Amino acid sequence: MTDLKLPASMAELRPTLPHLVAQGQARAPYFSILLSANQNLQIIVNNREERVTERPPYAGTVLSAFDGLTMRERAVGGFAQVDVQKAVQELVQGVQFAKYTPQATPARRGDFATQVQIDPLELSVQEKLDRCRALHRRAKGLDPHIVNVQVSYTESSDYSVFADHNSDLAQGVQRVRLFLVIFVAGEDGQVRYDWETKSAGGGWEKLDFSDAEIRLVIDGALALIGAERIEPGEYQIISAPGVSGTICHESFGHGVETDMFLKERAKAAHFLDKVVGSPLVDIFDDPSLPGELGSYFFDDEGHMASSTQIVEKGIFRRGITDFYSANALGIPRSANGRRQDYSRKAYARMSNTYFGPGTSSLDDILAQVDHGIYLDKWSSGMEDPKGWGIQVTCHYGHEIKDGKITNRVFAPIGISGYVPDVLQSISAVGSELRLEGGGCGKGHKELIAVSAGGPHLLMKARLG
Amino acid sequence: MMLDKIVQALKARSELAGWSVRHTITHEAQVYLVGQNTEAQRTVMDERYRIEVFRKNDGPDKTQGMGVGDITVLPGVDIQGAIDKASLVAGLVSNPIHTLPASAPIPDVALLDDELKKDTLGTLKKVIDQMLSATSKHAEVRLTSAEGFAEVNTIHHVNSRGVDAEQETTSINLEFVLQSKQGDREVETFREFGRRRAADLNIEAEVEHNARFTLDLIAAGPPPNWQGPVILCDNALVTFVAGDHLTNGVLQSKGSAAAKYAKVSNWEIGQSVFRGEVTGDPLTVWANRCIPYGIASNRFDEEGLPAQRVEFIRDNKLVSFVASQRYADYLQLPPTGAFGSVEIPPGKWESDSLLSEPYVEISLFSWFNPDNITGDFATEIRLGYLVENGVRKPFKGGQLIGNFIDALANVLWSRKTGTFGHYSGPQTARFGNLKIAGE
Repeated sequence: MTDLKLPASMAELRPTLPHLVAQGQARAPYFSILLSANQNLQIIVNNREERVTERPPYAGTVLSAFDGLTMRERAVGGFAQVDVQKAVQELVQGVQFAKYTPQATPARRGDFATQVQIDPLELSVQEKLDRCRALHRRAKGLDPHIVNVQVSYTESSDYSVFADHNSDLAQGVQRVRLFLVIFVAGEDGQVRYDWETKSAGGGWEKLDFSDAEIRLVIDGALALIGAERIEPGEYQIISAPGVSGTICHESFGHGVETDMFLKERAKAAHFLDKVVGSPLVDIFDDPSLPGELGSYFFDDEGHMASSTQIVEKGIFRRGITDFYSANALGIPRSANGRRQDYSRKAYARMSNTYFGPGTSSLDDILAQVDHGIYLDKWSSGMEDPKGWGIQVTCHYGHEIKDGKITNRVFAPIGISGYVPDVLQSISAVGSELRLEGGGCGKGHKELIAVSAGGPHLLMKARLG
Repeated sequence: MMLDKIVQALKARSELAGWSVRHTITHEAQVYLVGQNTEAQRTVMDERYRIEVFRKNDGPDKTQGMGVGDITVLPGVDIQGAIDKASLVAGLVSNPIHTLPASAPIPDVALLDDELKKDTLGTLKKVIDQMLSATSKHAEVRLTSAEGFAEVNTIHHVNSRGVDAEQETTSINLEFVLQSKQGDREVETFREFGRRRAADLNIEAEVEHNARFTLDLIAAGPPPNWQGPVILCDNALVTFVAGDHLTNGVLQSKGSAAAKYAKVSNWEIGQSVFRGEVTGDPLTVWANRCIPYGIASNRFDEEGLPAQRVEFIRDNKLVSFVASQRYADYLQLPPTGAFGSVEIPPGKWESDSLLSEPYVEISLFSWFNPDNITGDFATEIRLGYLVENGVRKPFKGGQLIGNFIDALANVLWSRKTGTFGHYSGPQTARFGNLKIAGE
């Protein structure tokens, strides 16, 4: 069991929030306060050097006043009561708020903390550095082509307190990630690399690398030395869980953020309760999944985390919402109002987004492919909610021939196509669900921690 | 003054081999529009001190090395406690010894928009109004959303080797979305850009460009399969050559001393940066932090190294790695500081002469993000044109496929130049042989 231990200055300000909310609400129809702080540590160990860095922390107070039309906010660095008190006055004084009655919501109270077994905050920096060194030692001498092995550990401790007339919530969310990147050089001196990552909403118990996993990274990098560029065209593909997750994230993740509905930027808005994929397709967003990188207990607007089914048996059911867009569109909330940090506004954002599992084993799926591509690993993706185009880049993929994955490797591989066409083409869904953690931007900014995943999927798409 | 207290506390620490402190104050205004209406309006105030300490330690083989620890604190914290924490971390690692930047003259680089500094929110609102006015002149498109961010930053950097430098910068960033509809077909363009001065946003021209792109998207057909000349100009060329704020860019990555030290860059000083024959114009690139009002310009960088214009690549050969003090010491190179803007000298071709048909021109990418180590890319095209037989036919989709370095080995640059935020150089480039995977 992990108890919530808020930073001292945050804990000190918390009891005054009901009074400050009352002051704000005396003028603004709806008033809320978010205290938000994060602390980050990064450790890098490679063949040439070691680094321990405290990544810049954020700590500040967001005051929000809403009248049904405009969200007015003031963000103040830190938790000094005098500064926050002054900012409340400045935010609401002299403003002509429109008349607005906030929707009735049940009272929300509670303190929450990520459950961890090996708590990163209980380990000393020396212990964490030693764990990174140990992983680095295990990998660095395993092949003569290796020119560098980099182990990169990041931990992030996010604390928030949310208060409005009906809420008094606090949470501590602990996130950890461990990257292993292996660089190799071929005879021509060209450098290739592969990586594996472990991430969790949790502690070090989630960050173990087996010897087989390390070997796979080395083999992946070595295979890239002789990789070919794929002949562009339509292929039968099997996506590994991480690739499935990226397709899901870019299509029916970003594509169903309802602030984009409000801005008329999402094609999905016209497809409510319509078919968008094969009947095998289920898509969820769930911040309440335990242990995932994108998990939390309540969002930055005080809505309690729960699962949202976005696509049910190929039919688009609903989007994911922030407070403003849900209010403007008159649709039910989901717990997806998230901020990069206190200095940024809240948007509708994903948490843990994934294709639901099916019933097929990977062997069964492979057996359905005479000639195709197994897409092992994604490297990036970009959303196109209005055009529903897919851009997902895979670091590499393997040829599938007669139901077997061969040693022929293609890299990099871009997946493109029209989202509904790709989702309609899904003809088999694996039974093993796996999510991978990562960072997500809204367009090119507003970075937050999320995870995405799914099972293996068999589908058709254009590769290049 | 908290900065003075931190400096005094650091000076009193005998265990430290060096230190630096960076005091940053940020004032920001943000405005968000849905359609013509203000969705949200925010002001942000942030103040912080980044303390970095250096200690000499014995490594596992008993040779002396150096460790660095850092901590970022907000006003009013326990200074001694923060330094203790950073010093403890600095004592944990032992890397080869390196120095901090020494005191040196700091150039006077223009970085400030006085009006924006005086009235951050007011200036931002004026810019938003200009954008609304500009979009209203294009009846065929409509603005569906926009975001504006205006920021004033004051930075004071002090270190144990006598650097004591201040700079004040402004920046203003704008995003807007234009849409158009014809029958059932709805399309949009998204534009995001930033400048140091509001006047440099050139809003009328930006809106006009994007309005045209939006209308062309309405008429866009499927992408062709293509192998041959590809034209990039203006913002598409900037993204291709200089990267964006999410991706460092291939030139910046392969040319960094940090990558060389880590053995992930195979470039060598005095050697060609290309792996084969150069069939286009010779490549010359400067890494420039001195461009007035450039968004990657500064008076001094994160370490306190003064701004420079560094000759990076001359006639295809690497002249210098771009090196922080640390990696400059490790590789025994002169420190250059951060990369700054990509500057390419004017080419020898009139823009029109680069447009011999047939060719494909790409105006918008989904996201051009090549692999910064290999240079390989496969990126979706949001808007391109196939130009042949005097007809300019727009298309959407398909992927541009290739290798960044190989592409630069076969390019012709225009004589006409422009400055676009973090790129200064030719406005048009003709890449001799790139591949598009269409339908």
